This record gives sequence, structure tokens and C-alpha cells, in this order.
Amino acid sequence: MTVALYVLHLGALLLLPILVIGVINRTRAIWAGRRGPPLLQTWFDLRRLLRKQPVYSEVTTSVFRVGPLVVLASALASGAFVPMLRDFAPWPLGFDFVAVAYLWGLGRMAMMLAALDAGSSFEGMGASREATYGALVEPALFLALGTLALVTGGTSFSQLMNVGFGDPARAVIVIGCAVALLIVLQAEAARVPVDDPATHLELTMIHEVMILDHSGPELAALQYSAAMKLTVCAALVASLLNPVPAQFGAVAVAGANLALTLVVAIVVGLIEGLVARLKLSAIPQYLTVAVVAAFVALLAATWLRGGAA
Amino acid sequence: MTQVLIAAGVLIAGAALALLLRNNVHRAWAALASQAVATVLVESVAVPTLLEGTDWRGTLRWSYPAEAIAAHLDPLSAFFLSWSLPMTLLGTLYALGYLRPYFKTRNAGPQFALLNITSLSFLLIYTIETATVFLLGWEIAAVAAWLLVIWDYPNQKIRFAGFNYLVSTHVGFFVLVAAFMLMHAHTGSMDFEAFAQFLRAPSPLRGVTFVTLVVAFGLKSAFFPFHTWLPRAHSAAPAHVSALMSGVIHKAGLFGLLRFTLLMGQPEEWMGWALIAFSAHSAVIAVAYTTAQRDLKRLLGYSSTENVGIVGMGIGLGYLGLAWHRPALVALGFTGAILHIVNHAFFKCLLFYAAGSVYRATHLIDLERLGGLARKVPWTAAFFLLGGAAISGLPPFNGFVSELLLYAGFLNGGVPAGVERIALIIAAAVLALVGGISMLAMTRAFGVTFLGAPRDASVHAEADSSKSMRAAMAVCALGVVLVGLMPAAALRVIGPAAALFTRLLPGGGDVGAANALVASTVTPVNVAAGLFLGLLGALLLVRRMLAGSQPAPRHVTWGCGYTAVSPRMQYSGTSFSLQFVGVFEAVLKLLKRVKLPQGPFPAKGSHLNTTCVDSVEQKMFESLGHSENLARRIASLVSAEPTASFAVGLLALAAIAAVALARGGLP
Repeated sequence: MTVALYVLHLGALLLLPILVIGVINRTRAIWAGRRGPPLLQTWFDLRRLLRKQPVYSEVTTSVFRVGPLVVLASALASGAFVPMLRDFAPWPLGFDFVAVAYLWGLGRMAMMLAALDAGSSFEGMGASREATYGALVEPALFLALGTLALVTGGTSFSQLMNVGFGDPARAVIVIGCAVALLIVLQAEAARVPVDDPATHLELTMIHEVMILDHSGPELAALQYSAAMKLTVCAALVASLLNPVPAQFGAVAVAGANLALTLVVAIVVGLIEGLVARLKLSAIPQYLTVAVVAAFVALLAATWLRGGAA
Repeated sequence: MTQVLIAAGVLIAGAALALLLRNNVHRAWAALASQAVATVLVESVAVPTLLEGTDWRGTLRWSYPAEAIAAHLDPLSAFFLSWSLPMTLLGTLYALGYLRPYFKTRNAGPQFALLNITSLSFLLIYTIETATVFLLGWEIAAVAAWLLVIWDYPNQKIRFAGFNYLVSTHVGFFVLVAAFMLMHAHTGSMDFEAFAQFLRAPSPLRGVTFVTLVVAFGLKSAFFPFHTWLPRAHSAAPAHVSALMSGVIHKAGLFGLLRFTLLMGQPEEWMGWALIAFSAHSAVIAVAYTTAQRDLKRLLGYSSTENVGIVGMGIGLGYLGLAWHRPALVALGFTGAILHIVNHAFFKCLLFYAAGSVYRATHLIDLERLGGLARKVPWTAAFFLLGGAAISGLPPFNGFVSELLLYAGFLNGGVPAGVERIALIIAAAVLALVGGISMLAMTRAFGVTFLGAPRDASVHAEADSSKSMRAAMAVCALGVVLVGLMPAAALRVIGPAAALFTRLLPGGGDVGAANALVASTVTPVNVAAGLFLGLLGALLLVRRMLAGSQPAPRHVTWGCGYTAVSPRMQYSGTSFSLQFVGVFEAVLKLLKRVKLPQGPFPAKGSHLNTTCVDSVEQKMFESLGHSENLARRIASLVSAEPTASFAVGLLALAAIAAVALARGGLP
């Protein structure tokens, strides 16, 4: 039983990202009246990139080459703590969510430095934007996680997800945190309305412009880790919203969670289809929405706990 | 304690030798050798005290004005001694390389002698518990630091920065004297043990004393808004002095805060909240300032204010734990704070040393003119990157360990539900914001200085840092890595110092349980570091296997179709943080000097120059100017006749006396 969960988690961490990107792109395409690329297009792209020989810029140092691997290693390492099947993580520890946030921070720093290493104005621009939004999104993440810790009394990331929908206060908490995490997803994984991965103009990009100079396996590592982060965030939202009761069995809960993750991917795709990318100067305000949503959840949580205590 | 006395003698002898010898290299070695001997002597007492948690008190007989000097060596003093002296020794080693270019033309003896005197002041501050002698140590450290800062005294800017520091540190000194006077007035003694009697009993004056002490120690450790002297002094001083001031000397303020916490016993709840609010404010504003600095050392100076803010948040959390009788919060808050103090010493010294190496190689410290140094000075670049990652609290380095302890405290289930819980969750979010902004600032500092292409063709990077500078950096780097990889060992060492605070709990607290809690809290550090390093190693291997036999082709950076790119087009330090500065424009004031190109054929000489000014300092100077005008106007009202002036003075005195009498008589 448990072994099945480990296998499912590993599969979700390593393979689901490919499908999630496919689902988002397909949703966007259908919404725009196109057929869209195959669901497994990311897989073909990664395989092609791995076979390619990279070209390095003359100004780059080893930071440029090791950076993408640091990004991927940090995303993979955080996979040990993140609950992708509602309340299961392979290696739950007290306050491991702090480790996850900081591992992602390490990845972000490595990516920004690799971008700056190319010595191009475009890549510096992307790194600057990423640094700004990355710093502003941290408080929202910690407010949401702190709220969940308060409600559930848990300390490890997987325990935080057992909120449930028992009463109206819990519903407010779940929705508030889900909104906050969805916005964190859009910022961390560079999706519309924070960033548009399909734009063709470097001046408006964040994530894509940071990896302009990367090619071959390094580019594959960066694309793969971005997809992985996106999937983990989507799985977190799904875990919060997962309504299947625990008595149905862990595998049923896990299966429902994976399905819900794909639903979240469809929602992300729908938002991308419906909404235009925000003006860059409006993004800090949009990120404030995440902080406010998490804060509303925090107030609701205090109200709930205050009644109990 | 005999060893400490001998160490003091050795340090004084070393300082004298450094002044008397004729050759600069011999002077440096005299200081190094005497400090090494003193360090070994002090460690021989400090390490056993720290590891076994013993408590020793003694009295030294002296003459007027302090007949009996109380000495006290407990794990807290041992902790501060155990790293302050070796770090000063490292600073001296670095100075040997850093000052070498001046050796032919200048007498470096006073610098080395003053470094010895700085070590001596640590012996006084950390072991003496008689207020007058403690103040003497405090003053020696301040004046020595001032003299160290103005090494390049012919430069007017540097003299001004030094003077600014001297004034600020003495304002703090007077506030500290005021606090001691207050306690002396109520106890009739100058001994800290007597102060403790007064501080333990709740009274309104206890609160006043606490606030006065926090202001005095806050000025020493450069908490916001008492930080104005710091960025100037740090950018003016030689690199080893900036490093020692930021990482070691000014930690005396935090020592004072911790020492008086022990004397005070049970704090009140408001003190904890006040400390958290004050420190969080300090951390956020200072870290915002780090993003906008052009001067690499000024940037690191602001980052000191940020880090003492983080330490202060931990201490405040410990206060709340003591007030609420929650052992978990006491253990996590104080252990996190104490560990962060030594962590900060490691990475801040490392960063200042690396910044000093940049200055040695290029004679520049201005971000906007540097760039692409990683290929010229690879050692310095690697050390700076390590320090930058550690100061941002990233795993697997030491900053992450102390920050994780603080998060575990702020988000702890032991916090009373209600407004208290909300406030502490917000404090955790503030800490996360500080971490994120710090990462921005460090990415910018490292990226703009060391990566990309050189921005200014007129800047030539000479050779990488010399061996002695590299050795000092390597030791700091080792500390950064070891604490990050073996947090359990680090916690074992500082455990007895943190246990002192657990014992303040009613009933003496359960030290064993506190240690176990802290040790179990840091497990994610080991797991995250192990997983990350293992995976990174595996990925590097895979990458090597994927690579073909011939080296990858090199080409120019893709310019998105534009072919006439120049290195000046790269993102500069200012442009990197411009958007962020826009978010924080309420506190971050950018001063722009602009001359835009005009007309179809613009003449040469157009420029744009941006600097970030400190708004607190600006306000301070403005109000000083206003008060000067006010004083002048009042003075013009009083006639120049001496009798009239005396009459006004007499009237003022009479008015003060009348107010005092009306309030219930003089004490």
C-alpha cells in the first residue's frame, strides 16, 4: 500500500509535469479554436534538447553551465517533502515546508545568476523581474502555510493539507489558501497573468527571457524544472481542495488528487485563455492579492481556533 | 581566568611591539603572533566553559575608582569570546595582505596595534561585570574602531565618516551610561549582580531601563533607525576593519542585550513584542536599502543592520516564550538568535573580505563600473558567491540553519491562539520577505560585479587576492559550509549558552528537552542538504556523460537579432533593482543627476547618475540644520550683554527647579 504511494509520488513528480504542460497548452489551444500540440509535446522537446550539442556564449563562466543543474537538483530535492497526493510525502519532517521554500529560492538564485552570466541586457531584465516578484511572493506563501499550520496543528508539509471542509470557517481557509497558492503558482512557474510563456517579444518576458542563451541539455534542465515546479504547485492546490474522505483508502485519495491536479492545470489553461498578461507595473499589486487571500484565511483560522480554545 | 589575564598582557605587549618595531612586516607578525597566543590562552578557558556549561565568578582587586572588579565567565561570555578573538586574528591575517601595497610608504604599526587593542576590549566587555570597567572596554572598542576606520585619513570623506561614527557611538555610550546611572541610583552599586536585584523586581523604572538599554545596544549594533553611521563607516574603512566591525565588534551590542536579559530574568510580554517589532522593522528597511546601493561595502553595511534585525526578532521571540512560559519558544528563539550571531560573523566577514579583494584588484568598489570579474579573480568570486548564498539563508549553508530555527519558533504550535498567533505568523512572513529581498540584493551584487562582461574598459583587474587574504576567506568559508552541513555539532557547541535562557523559566526549565527539540528541528537541514548535494552530484555526472568528446562551441551572446551590442547595455546595478525600488519608494529615495541628450545631433557629455540616499540620515541632517537655525534665532533674541545672558540662564534654572518642586520635590 505504502509502496504504491511512493511509486505514485515519484511518478507524479517526474512524469506528471510533462502531462500538465500538455494539458495547459491543449486547453489554451482549444479555447483559441486551434487543435494544439500533442499532450506529450514537452517530452519530445526534452528528448530533442538532450541530444543537442549546446553552444555557450564567450562571456559565460561555469555559473552558466552549473546553474541549470542546481535549479533541477533543488526542484527534485524539494520533491521529498511536497505532498502531491494530498497528505502523503515521502520524507515528512517538521517545518520541511521552510526547506522547500528555501530550496526553491536556491533554484531561483541559480537561475538568475546563470541569466546574468550571459551578459545580455535581455537576460538581466528577466533576472531583475524574477528577483522582484520572487521576493514579493514569499510572504504570501508563508502566510498561507502558517495559516494551514495553525488550523491543522501540523508541522510537516503533508500534515498541513488535512484541513477538510467541516464548517464554513474551514471552507474560507481552504479557498483563501488555494487562491494564494494559485497566485504563487502563476508567479513561481511564470504563467499568465504574471508572465506569458508563449509571448514572442523578449521585452515582455520574465522566465523565457532568462533562459534565452541556454541550449541543449541545460535548456532541457531548466524547462523540466519549471514544469516540475508548476506541477508541484498545482498538486498543492489540488491537495487542499481534494474532497475524497480518507476512509476510501489512500490510493483512491491519491488518484483523485492526481485527477484534480490535471483539473487545476485546465483552470490555469483557462485563465491563460481568458485573461491577458498584466502590465509589469501591476504585477506587485496582483501578488498583493495573494497576500490578502492568505491573510483572510489566517483571520478565519484564528476565528476557528479561538472558538476551540 | 589567569589565562585571560595573561592573554590581556600578551595583547598589550603585541600592540607595543607593533608600534615599536621598524618594519611593517615585522609589526604585522608581532600582532599576529601575540593574537594567536592570546587566542589559544582564551580558548583554553572559553571552550571548556562553553562545552561544560560551567559558571565562574571572581573579583580582581584594583584601586580607585573600581576597588573590586567583578569578573564573570559563563557560557554566554565564553561563546562570544570563543569566536571573537579568532575572527579578529583572521582579520589581522587578512590585513597583512590587504595593507601590503602601503607597506613601503606608510607605517602600518598603529593598525596592527589597534587590532590587538580590539581583541583586548573583547576580554573586558565579555568577562567584566563592573559597570565602570565594562564601560571602559566599551569605549576602548569604540575608539579603536574609529581609529581603524580612518586609516586613509588624508581623504576628507573618510574623516567625515569616521567622525560621524565617533559621534554616533558616543551618543550610544551616553545612553548606556544613563541606563547604568539609573540602575546605580537604585542599587548604590556598580556591579551587574546588584543591577540584577533591581531588574528582577517588576517596576515602571525597570521598563524605562529596558528601553534605555535597547537604545544603547541598538546604537552599538546599528539597528534601524540608529544605523546612519554604519553604511558610511563601512564603506570608508579598510576591508578588514569593515568586516570586523560588522561581524565581530558590533556584536557587543547583542551581547549586552543578551547579558541584561539574563540579569533581568522574567521579561514582560510587551518587551518581547517591542523587540520583535523594532527588529522586524530594522530588518525590512535595511534589506530594502541593500537592493539600491552602488557601493559594494555600503550594501554589505546595510545588510548588517538587516541581520541584527533577524537576531533581534529571535531574541524577542525568546522574550515572549519567557513571558508565556513556553519552553519551545525560548529554546528556538534564543538558539536561533545566538546561532545567527556567529553565522553572521562567518558570512559577513567572508563577504567583506571578498569585497576588499575586489577593491585590491580593481581599485573600485562601485557596482556600476565593474562586471565580468569572475574570470579575472575566480577565488574571490567563488567566496563571494558562497557568502551571498549563505546570507540569503539558502541551504545547504549556515544561514539556513538559524533561519529555520526562527521559522520553527514563529510558526510554533505553542503560541497562544488568537492575536498573538496572527502576529507571529506575520512575523514569519516578514522574515520570508527579508530572505527574498536579501536574495535579490545578493544576486544583484554578485551578478553585476562578477558575471557578464566588464562594463568599463578603463577598469583593469590585477591579480586575484594574495595568499593571506585567501586564507582568511577560506577559514570563513569553511565555517559557512560546516555549520550548514553539520548543524547538530554547531548546536552542541552553542547549546550551553542557549540553555542559560531556558533556565530563566520558572522551575529552572528542562534543558534536556529544549536541546532535544532544537536538535530535532534542524533535521530538515540535513535531509535537504544531503538530497540536494546528492542529486546535484548525480546530475553533474549525467551531464558529463551526455557531453561529447569535443568541447562545446563558443559564440557571442544572442542579442535577439541586434548585432551592435556593447557591454554598457547590460543591466546595471541600478536597473536591476529599479522595479523593486519602485515598490519601496516610500523609504528608498533615489537621487538622480540627469543630463539627457538633446536635439538630433546631441553633444557629448550627457549622463545619468543615480545614488540611493539614506532617508533617515537626510532627515537627521535636515533637522540638525533646522535646530541650528532655531538656536541662532533664539540667540539673536538674547542681547549680547553678559548680564542679560546670565539672567536668562538663571531664569531657566529657576523654571526647571519650579517644575521639579511642583512634581513632588526632588528625590
